[in-house]
Amino acid sequence: MYIIIGDTGVGKSCLLLQFTDKRFQPVHDLTIGVEFGARMVNIDGKQIKLQIWDTAGQESFRSITRSYYRGAAGALLVYDITRRETFNHLTSWLEDARQHSSSNMVIMLIGNKSDLESRRDVKREEGEAFAREHGLIFMETSAKTACNVEEAFINTAKEIYRKIQQGLFDVHNEANGIKIGPQQCISTSVGPSASQRSSSEIGSNSGCC
Amino acid sequence: MLTRVKSAVANFMGGIMAGSSGSEHSGGGCGGSDLPLRFPYGRPEFLGLSQDEVECSADHIARPILILKETRRLPWATGYAEVINAGKSTYNEDQASCEVLTVKKKAGAITSTPNRNSTKRRSSLPNGEGLQLKENSESEGVSCHYWSLFDGHAGSGAAVVASRLLQHHVTEQLQDIVEILKNSAVLPPTCLGEEPENTPANSRTLTRAASLRGGVGAPGSPSTPPTRFFTEKKIPHECLVIGALESAFKEMDLQIERERSSYNISGGCTALIVVCLLGKLYVANAGDSSSEEEVTNPKAIIIRNGEIIPMSSEFTPETERQRLQYLAFMQPHLLGNEFTHLEFPRRVQRKELGKKMLYRDFNMTGWAYKTIEDDDLKFPLIYGEGKKARVMATIGVTRGLGDHDLKVHDSNIYIKPFLSSAPEVRVYDLSKYEHGADDVLILATDGLWDVLSNEEVAEAISQFLPNCDPDDPHRYTLAAQDLVMRARGVLKDRGWRISNDRLGSGDDISVYVIPLIHGNKLS
Ligand SMILES: Nc1nc2c(ncn2[C@@H]2O[C@H](COP(=O)(O)OP(=O)(O)OP(=O)(O)O)[C@@H](O)[C@H]2O)c(=O)[nH]1
Ligand SMILES: [Mg+2]
Repeated sequence: MYIIIGDTGVGKSCLLLQFTDKRFQPVHDLTIGVEFGARMVNIDGKQIKLQIWDTAGQESFRSITRSYYRGAAGALLVYDITRRETFNHLTSWLEDARQHSSSNMVIMLIGNKSDLESRRDVKREEGEAFAREHGLIFMETSAKTACNVEEAFINTAKEIYRKIQQGLFDVHNEANGIKIGPQQCISTSVGPSASQRSSSEIGSNSGCC
Repeated sequence: MLTRVKSAVANFMGGIMAGSSGSEHSGGGCGGSDLPLRFPYGRPEFLGLSQDEVECSADHIARPILILKETRRLPWATGYAEVINAGKSTYNEDQASCEVLTVKKKAGAITSTPNRNSTKRRSSLPNGEGLQLKENSESEGVSCHYWSLFDGHAGSGAAVVASRLLQHHVTEQLQDIVEILKNSAVLPPTCLGEEPENTPANSRTLTRAASLRGGVGAPGSPSTPPTRFFTEKKIPHECLVIGALESAFKEMDLQIERERSSYNISGGCTALIVVCLLGKLYVANAGDSSSEEEVTNPKAIIIRNGEIIPMSSEFTPETERQRLQYLAFMQPHLLGNEFTHLEFPRRVQRKELGKKMLYRDFNMTGWAYKTIEDDDLKFPLIYGEGKKARVMATIGVTRGLGDHDLKVHDSNIYIKPFLSSAPEVRVYDLSKYEHGADDVLILATDGLWDVLSNEEVAEAISQFLPNCDPDDPHRYTLAAQDLVMRARGVLKDRGWRISNDRLGSGDDISVYVIPLIHGNKLS
């Protein structure tokens, strides 16, 4: 299970929508609780079902959002490259995540809205530096053009998968957000019928950014 | 509530039913039956969740709080939030539904003429116009707001079925009386088709009433009212609605019983519904009641200007005890020779045979001494203290729907005869008070009330709502989310914790926050 976190308006819900439905939503529908998305992906020839929880970025929902870290195997920490304050708040999000999640949670840092190059407020290098400093994976994405969206989710899944293989995750402890499906396929938080479902095909790396 | 059934079995120390294997009431959605489900398991329809979302939400570890999506609206801008249990059952056994029902005079049950006639009659009445404006025209029907909440036990089947079908029974029952209800100026006729007592507008009632029966009785119109020599009880309109709701519950229960032969409808459920009809709120509750002192039920309270008005009193343990004891006394075979209907302050021991011990029977509220006989050694019909009280050592609920197959552990004794589907109905007149935006009716299942008192809930609401924009369409949903969060708490190393480090509720929690300000314009 993944969780998507970050300030309000950075594009969390749009990233999820792009990943699950391949759609973009131009208006900001404030998320006021938690919303869910799911998709099958193929990692190393294994079908894995990603369950993604999209949380509310608004400060007033922080205590609720916090309560969802536990049980997440991965987190997408998102900021908006056109709004520096969303980048400045990363430290506080990271603190929250580290404090309330299991220690092995894989965190992917995402600078979203890369299509808005002209309004860029945070340099790519700054994002890279922040990620390096805190041991995160980093990518810039655009939920609008779909650039790197697939990659962001799938790379996170690969990293989780790698950690599982290294034995860093106890896959038998459901609190880590990983469930093993019935047919030996490792999946993150799979429900009863997940393994029967067909996977949606995944576009290969498009290298657009 | 499944845990209650299980723990009842586990706690049971009387001996006669000790043993293992409770195949009859296993948890989950489908208790091992080959029959198809009546409705597939899901979350309330108004949440509009996809299969994936239902799957994601059933996470017993992170326990996401589900709320109404931004794109969805419930009537009256009602707020709703729910969360699944912490692992006691695979599924969330609470269910809910909410809709606006249109209650129309049943087509076919009446001839087409009365409608035309009534229009004419109406216009000839001095106040006909006003009446017509108030409730629309006769053929339009009356709209009726409906909210329901079900708390399932020993399976989700009955709760799912009731959440889909009870509203239809409510509509059906109200159809029969809608014309009488609309005619609020005249008391309901005692006997349909008969001339009611002389009242200014009696001619309308008469013909209307006659039309309901399609002219049964006196064809044409009875000319002289029969002279009455006896006093007659005056039955107000709201009592007809109460009766209709009681009948709807009964019909729902009978339908579950009938359909059991073709569908797998597992378990049972308590039911709490609210109906808003013609300016009045009716809260009907068939829930847990055998427990004494701290009774925790699906429950409804109104919070008005910070004041708490309980809207569903639990059946008093006293009347419930007497009802059960009386039934057992009248029909001892229902006890299968395993139980005694008498109540003793504690279990009677064999060595006490012949001694005198305090007891009480169905017709007593006080206690007396009786000589202990062999029969008194049997297990008591109702046993246990407070929340742990059980009927026949099996179930802590004495009212509700379903449970037709529930038997006493390892025996052939059915519990159902002791369970009643009849709700208790409370009426609240919306017109008697000008409600503000923060005046709400809270409906919630055990999960909330187990851990939060009425006062804490009222306190939370009075803190939350005034801090929300009064025009925010989500404010009541956010308030519901806040209540669920307060009852669920946060997962710490020692389980779910709420304020003051108290234990949070590990049960399913479902909460409606219904703003009453929308009731103002109805009256
Ligand atoms: N140009 C551009 N706009 C984007 C992109 N992603 C999101 N947006 C816009 O940013 C606004 C906010 O997006 P959301 O996804 O709703 O924001 P959020 O992070 O979910 O916000 P909260 O739910 O309040 O936490 C919307 O108007 C989107 O259309 C992007 O990649 N490019
Ligand atoms: Mg959002």
